[in-house]
Amino acid sequence: MELSKISVLSLVELVVACLLVIALMVANAIVMVYAERKGAGFIQRRPGPYEVGPWGILQPVADSMKLLAKQLFVPANVDFLLYFLAPVLAFLPVLLLFLPIPFGPYLTALKVPDGVVLILAFAGFGLLANLLAGYSSNNKYGILGAGRAVAQGVAYEIPMILALLAVVFQTGSMNLSDIAEAQGSAPWRWNFLCQPLAFFIYLVTLVAETNRAPFDLPEGESELTAGFHTEYSGMGFALFFLSEYANMLLVSFVCATFFLGGYKGPILDGFWWTFIKAYAVMAFIVWIRWTFPRVRFDQLLNINWKWLLPLSILNLWITAVIIKLV
Amino acid sequence: MKMLSAIWDNLKGLYSLLVGMCITGRYFFQPLKTVHFPRDVVEPENLASYRGPLELARGKTDESKTRCISCQMCAKGCPGNCITVVKSKEGKNPVTWLYDFTLCCLCGACVEVCPTAAIQFSHRLYLVSTSREALVLDLLKDLEERVAAGPLPAAGAGTPDAKKPEARMPDAGGPQKAAGGSAAPDPEG
Repeated sequence: MELSKISVLSLVELVVACLLVIALMVANAIVMVYAERKGAGFIQRRPGPYEVGPWGILQPVADSMKLLAKQLFVPANVDFLLYFLAPVLAFLPVLLLFLPIPFGPYLTALKVPDGVVLILAFAGFGLLANLLAGYSSNNKYGILGAGRAVAQGVAYEIPMILALLAVVFQTGSMNLSDIAEAQGSAPWRWNFLCQPLAFFIYLVTLVAETNRAPFDLPEGESELTAGFHTEYSGMGFALFFLSEYANMLLVSFVCATFFLGGYKGPILDGFWWTFIKAYAVMAFIVWIRWTFPRVRFDQLLNINWKWLLPLSILNLWITAVIIKLV
Repeated sequence: MKMLSAIWDNLKGLYSLLVGMCITGRYFFQPLKTVHFPRDVVEPENLASYRGPLELARGKTDESKTRCISCQMCAKGCPGNCITVVKSKEGKNPVTWLYDFTLCCLCGACVEVCPTAAIQFSHRLYLVSTSREALVLDLLKDLEERVAAGPLPAAGAGTPDAKKPEARMPDAGGPQKAAGGSAAPDPEG
């Protein structure tokens, strides 16, 4: 009796958490569309969106209206099931990935002991969605983009895992709440100072994992039109777009939790610190997108296999040795 | 040794990335360069380097006359065939000088080839029209109007055919008028 009551309560909690996470994803996409275009504008010394509403603040609303009203065009000879499944598959796993993130001391949707494993395991699903989208849409650009997405995603997952593993070694826990709790309130007690190499490697790999410039090879609009989502229009495209921004937000939250002290800050710990830090990382991602040109594909893989992977293994080894000695 | 130099090269590369980020970060906070056209207009000093549609230069001796001798070099050299010059019966001066701006690619071949330097680029930025016919400009008429407007106007004076578009940009005449009487003289005029 008591047990079923608890499970019903936790189920309700989970549903509420899922709804909140969806709301966060959509709100994030709307804010980031505007912020990114404004940021791009200011970096190029032009105003960005300006005409829709005061200072173009209604531009994302107009954009989403356009996407909603667009015709869903299905090209000939697509693999029908996979073609419709791919955007959903890109969107849904991200929802799951937000659940173990400790937004605040008490604001965690799903307190799991192995949150790191959950995130790293399901992050690969986005890759599968990209592969399916490119494969099923019967388009040469699509399949090229999908091939690139897989080669890039598989490669960059390894140094990412190894960089996070160094922090896990140091904390001795795979629970994200424990990792945030283990760091102090003062900025100099956050992990990015005692794991600078892991922090740097994670910053590089998070850009590559979210397929953002300068590592946006799977989409590369100048060479592959739009890469894996070339044949998607209307809401299919919107779901890919939404999941791209949600993925960005996710890696930013993971970065904030692992390296930037999570919900802890110099004054007044709470979920606001997580959000400030995560959006600072987002601003960083936007900043480098509009600074660096896209790398060539062999350069992309060389950076990973020749530099990031050995460095992350070295970093993990040094961390292990220091933990053993101290 | 090779490995060391490779590491050094990559560190230098990382430094160059930092420099790039500093530049874009600085640009982010600098004032914008864009002019919101219907509400703002370009400053006259920025128009001096703007090469707009053609206009006829003023004569060296008689400022109210054109320098054109109707040699047809511009009409022959034009890749878009947008120039029509008709010589008068009495002298060398043209009676008709039509310039079809819809065909012009602003390549400057006519300006280069003109033996008397009678053609020059104007600084006319706000040439808008809703019909093709309105963009076939009578440059002799345009010269006459500029002569009537004053001895040395800075930029190309108001277009003869742009009455409707002028309603859309109320400030368009402002800076040009202001520059007409004041200091900034046309460097070519």
